Amino acid sequence: MSRTRRTLRWAAAVTAVALTATGCNLVGSGEDDSGNDDASGENVTITVALVPDPPGASEFYRAQFDQFEEENPGITVEVVENPSDQQLGAVELMFQQGDPPDVFRAQADGFDRMYERGWVHSLEEFVTDEFIERFPEGTMNPSTSGLHRGGELYTLPLVSGKWDVRVLVYNEAVLRENGYDGPPETWGEMEEMARTITANGGGQVFGYAPASGKAVAVEMLAQTAAPYSVVQDGIDFRTGQPATASPGMVEAVELHRRMQADGVMVPGWESWDGARAFTEFAAGTMAMYPTAPWHIAEIRKLNPEIEMGIAPLPVPDDGRGAYTPTKQSFQPIWSMSSETEHPEEAWKVMDFLASEDFHRAYYEQFGSFTALESAWADQARENPDQAAILSAAEETMRVVPNPMLLSEGGAEILRARAQRPELKHTDAAVDAIINNKPFLPIAQGLDQQLQAFLDETLAELSGTATSDDITFPDWDPLENYTPEQ
Amino acid sequence: MASTYAAARRPRAAGRWRRHAWSYAFLIPGILLFGGFSLWPLIASWWYAFFDWDGVGAPTDWVGLDNFREVLGSSDFWDAFWHSFLFSFAALVIELPLALVLAILLNNAWLRGRNVYRLALFLPVVTTTAIVGIVFAVLLDPIRGVVNTALSDLGLIDSSINFLGDTTTALPTLIGIDIWKGFGITLIYWLAALQTIPKDIHEAALIDGANSRQSLRYVVLPMLVPLAIVILLLVFQRSLNTFDLVQATTQGGPNYATDVVPTYIYRFAFDPFLQAPRYGFACAAGAVFGLMTLLIALLQGPLLRGRYKAGAL
Repeated sequence: MSRTRRTLRWAAAVTAVALTATGCNLVGSGEDDSGNDDASGENVTITVALVPDPPGASEFYRAQFDQFEEENPGITVEVVENPSDQQLGAVELMFQQGDPPDVFRAQADGFDRMYERGWVHSLEEFVTDEFIERFPEGTMNPSTSGLHRGGELYTLPLVSGKWDVRVLVYNEAVLRENGYDGPPETWGEMEEMARTITANGGGQVFGYAPASGKAVAVEMLAQTAAPYSVVQDGIDFRTGQPATASPGMVEAVELHRRMQADGVMVPGWESWDGARAFTEFAAGTMAMYPTAPWHIAEIRKLNPEIEMGIAPLPVPDDGRGAYTPTKQSFQPIWSMSSETEHPEEAWKVMDFLASEDFHRAYYEQFGSFTALESAWADQARENPDQAAILSAAEETMRVVPNPMLLSEGGAEILRARAQRPELKHTDAAVDAIINNKPFLPIAQGLDQQLQAFLDETLAELSGTATSDDITFPDWDPLENYTPEQ
Repeated sequence: MASTYAAARRPRAAGRWRRHAWSYAFLIPGILLFGGFSLWPLIASWWYAFFDWDGVGAPTDWVGLDNFREVLGSSDFWDAFWHSFLFSFAALVIELPLALVLAILLNNAWLRGRNVYRLALFLPVVTTTAIVGIVFAVLLDPIRGVVNTALSDLGLIDSSINFLGDTTTALPTLIGIDIWKGFGITLIYWLAALQTIPKDIHEAALIDGANSRQSLRYVVLPMLVPLAIVILLLVFQRSLNTFDLVQATTQGGPNYATDVVPTYIYRFAFDPFLQAPRYGFACAAGAVFGLMTLLIALLQGPLLRGRYKAGAL
C-alpha cells in the first residue's frame, strides 16, 4: 500500500472519530439558537408546553399567542405541544435535560407531581387584588381553591369547577321512536329503556354504552349512589374504612353486567378510546350515555342536526345517595417553572392565559365553561346545551371534604393509594362486566386488600398521618361540606 | 519451547495489527455509536431495575431484587408474556410455512406477474401500523364493519362478531392482523434464501431424474435449513416484540385480553393514570423479558441445528 493512500485512510478515520466525538454537528453552529437575546434587551422567548386538546387547540393557542405577542412587543411565545397522555413525561424530560419550559400545563395529580419536585414557581409575588377579583367570589380561598399549596398560589385554572359535572346525553328522536318522552330518572328506568331500544334497534341502534373501554360510566353513576371517596379511592371518608363493597358501588357494576350479558350495550365498547363514544352517539348508534360535558360540543360539531337532550344522571331506584363531588374550586392547569430565567415575562403570559379575553375566546371556540364565569355566563344561559349543563351542575354537585387540601397526612395517604391503582375498582369492574362475574365478592376482596394497605401505610406514616386525616364523621354526602365540619 | 514460539509470533501479530490499524480506527465511530445508543441503554436499564425510581434525578432508592420479585410474582406480567408468546408461536406455525410456500411459487420464473404479487404481499410491511390499526378497526367494526356485513350477507353468522371487543376474539384477531402485516417481510426472507441455491444443483437433480417435488424435498429444502434457522429467529423475535399494533388498536384491552409485555412495560413507565411512573419496575420487567427472549433464542438455535444434523429437518 502506498504511503499516500495510507495517510489518506488515517486522515479519513481521524475525521470520522472527530465528527462522532463532536456529535456530528454538521448542520448547526452548536451555539444556543433559542433566539433569547434578553441581555441585549431586544426580545425574550417564553416557552409554553401545552396539550393540543381538544381538537383544534393547536391553531387556537397559536392565534391567541400571536395576539399576545402583538400586545407585548419583546416577548415571543414558543409553543411545545405534547399529546395529553405524554405531556407530564415530556415536561419532566425537559426539566431533566436542563431545558424546562417557562410555563407548562400540568393537570390535577400531575401538578402535584411537579410541585413535589420543586419545579413550580410560587405566583404570590405577581398576584394583585385585581387578578383575584377576576374569579368568582370565594373560589380563590387558599384552603379550597385547589390552586394553593402551603397557603401560596402556585397554579392557575382553565375551566370552572362546574365543568366537572357529569350528565346523561340522550337522543330525543330515538327515545321518542321507542315511546319515551323524556330521559330516565333512575337506574331502573335507564336499564328498561336501554333494553327496549336495543331490542327495537335491529342491530343498528343500541340503548346504552358505558362511554369507554374502562367503563367510566360505572364511576359516574356510582357517584349518585355512594360517597365520591368510595368511588375514587375505595374508602368511605365518613368512616375512614374501605367500602368498595357498599351496595351503591356494587349495584352500579351489576347494572352494567346485566346489560352486557344480555347484549343491551353497543358491541365493541370494550375497546373504545375516549373519543369513540361521542362519535357513535353523533352517528345515531346509541340512545344515551353518561359523560363529561365536553363531549356535547364534539357531538354538535359532528352532527349539528342531532336531537340531543342533556339531563342530570339517573339515580338509584331507592333514591340518591350522593352527588358529583366539588373537591375544590378549580383544577390546576397552568404553572410557571421554578427554573425560568424570565419570571416577569412568564407571568405576563400566565396573566394573559387567565384574562377575560382569553377565557371568552376559549369558551367561544370550545364551549367549555372557563374559570372566569364573567367571560361566558350570559352567553351560556342563552345556549340550550350549555344552559342544561349549568342546570345539571347546580342541581347535582356538592362540596365534599378533600383530604388532599385539608391536611398533609391526608394528602400522604391518598398519594400512597394512588400509587396502588390495582386497589381501585376500575379493572375489577371491567372484568366483572365483560366476563359476567358477580362483583360483590370481588369488591369484598378489594376491601380486604385496601384494609391491609391502610394498616401498612398508616404504620409507615406513623407520626405524620393518622386515620383521622381521612375520616369526616359529620359529613353528609347529600349536603355541601364546609371545612369547619 | 512455548516462550520461543510466543516470541516468534509476537512480531507477526504486531505487524498484522500495524497493517490493519486503520481498519480499527474506522470501526471506532461505529463502536462509539453502538456503545452509546445500544449497549449503554441496555446496561443502564439493568442498573435502574434495582431502584425504586420515577425517572427524575439520579436513582437513589436501592431496592435490590424487589422489582424482579414483583415482576416474577405478577400474574399480569405472565399473562402478558403468554400473549406475546402466542404472537410468536402463531407467526412460526402459520406465517413461516405459508410464506415459504408462496416464496417457492413466486420464485418460479414461469410465473407471470410475480413482481406484482411480491409487491402486493410486501405493501402491508411498509404501511404505518397506526393506519393498519385504524383500517382494521373500521373493517372489523361489529355494527358497520365490512367484514361483519359480508359474513352476515353470506349467511355465515347470525349476529355480529365483536372482533376487537370480545376477550375471546380480540387476541386471535390481532395475531391475524400481525401475521398479515409481517407476512411480506418473511416472504422476502424466504425469497432471498431460495435465491442463494445455485440453479446448477437444481438442474442436476432434474437431469438425474428427480421430479419437481423430489427436487424440492431432497435438494431445495435441505439447503434452506441453515438460513431457515436465521429466518425463524428473526420472525420469532419480531412477533415477540409486537407493540405498535396492540397500542394502535386495543391498548391491551378489552380487560387486558391483548396485553403483551411491551404494553405492560409501557403502562408502568408512561401511564398517566399512575401517580408517578415506575421506571425501575418497568426496567425490571424489560430485563426479565429480554432475558427470557434471549434464552428462547439461544435454545432454538442448537435445538434446530441438532435436528438438522440428525436429519430430522
